[in-house]
Amino acid sequence: MFSKENKLEKFKDAETIIGASIKVKGNFQGQGNIIIEGALEGSLKTEANLFVGDRAKVVASIESKDAIINGELRGNIKARGYLALGGTAKIFGDIQYTELSVEKGAVINGQISMLAEGERRGENKKAEIKNEESEK
Amino acid sequence: MHVYIYDEYLNKTKHNRAINRLEIRLTDLGLNGKIIRLGGIKNIKGTIQNEIKLGAKTIIAVGNNQTVNKIIGAIIDTEIYGDFQKKTLLGLVPIGDDNSIAASFGIKNIDEACNILLARRVEKIDLGLVGNYYFLNQASIQSLGTTIEIDDYSLEITDKGEVRIINLLSDQKETIKSNPHDGKLDILIRTRRRDESLITVKNLKITNPQEKLIVDGVVEINTPVQIGIMKDKVSVIVGKDRLFE
Repeated sequence: MFSKENKLEKFKDAETIIGASIKVKGNFQGQGNIIIEGALEGSLKTEANLFVGDRAKVVASIESKDAIINGELRGNIKARGYLALGGTAKIFGDIQYTELSVEKGAVINGQISMLAEGERRGENKKAEIKNEESEK
Repeated sequence: MHVYIYDEYLNKTKHNRAINRLEIRLTDLGLNGKIIRLGGIKNIKGTIQNEIKLGAKTIIAVGNNQTVNKIIGAIIDTEIYGDFQKKTLLGLVPIGDDNSIAASFGIKNIDEACNILLARRVEKIDLGLVGNYYFLNQASIQSLGTTIEIDDYSLEITDKGEVRIINLLSDQKETIKSNPHDGKLDILIRTRRRDESLITVKNLKITNPQEKLIVDGVVEINTPVQIGIMKDKVSVIVGKDRLFE
């Protein structure tokens, strides 16, 4: 699940890529998939998926749909969908998820909890209502 | 009525052959019209605006990126723009170097340009805005020391390379996709470590105390400067091999 091919398949149409030479400071909000290979300080929120590379350093609270974390994260993460922590992931903060996988070697320093039913379904319902409206 | 705007540099004798070829081809295709040579004109804006007032259906930039930018600069944000948007199309005939804008529209040479003018395939294109200067293709600056402020966050670049603010791609080999109808600019940052970053935005402020921003490859602008986008601002006659959908 952590193979390079897997990452590329899911994130090949990433709307935002933060490369290793970039430092982002502030509150970052996106609609599409986001890849972070560099540094980020502040907060990050996307309606879609998030990939954090193994050299990335993130000091932020994060909210996304699915998330794959391979780098260092100091802050809380809320993945409304599937959260995968790779073997190089270091998490210093609380984790909230709907589905979780943790690879051997991952470091977690924080509370781990599953999102409440209403919270994770709520996002999906909103999306469904939006889709229905656009179809009409 | 077609109005052909010949740029000043085409007065040089080395371009005579290209101009002759263009005029013969236009006559063959029944596309000939009024020719305005910018070489002898002081009030370029006034001249172009007057042609639109007189009912020009197509204004054709004969020259390079600068020619296109001169025409756009004469039209956008002026009282004539309403008429231009309703009635007039912009065409391009590339002659000489610095023709990345024509390349973006799939126009590679004079013969192709004439055929494309005849086919009249029209696309509405966004315009980038740097300070008071409009651009079609892109603005670029050296990456090291550049700071970009967007909405509620900022980007700092820590390695040598190039930052490109793209509206319309000009390089056929480019791997990213950029849509010139989406009302957004793509910030592409490539550094010497082959590191690539891509962010899509509507507005940004760019700062680099050491370097200047180069707009459409020709105009240098000091930073800090605001960069924005204006959606579907110009209707352009494009080729089928254009670099966007």
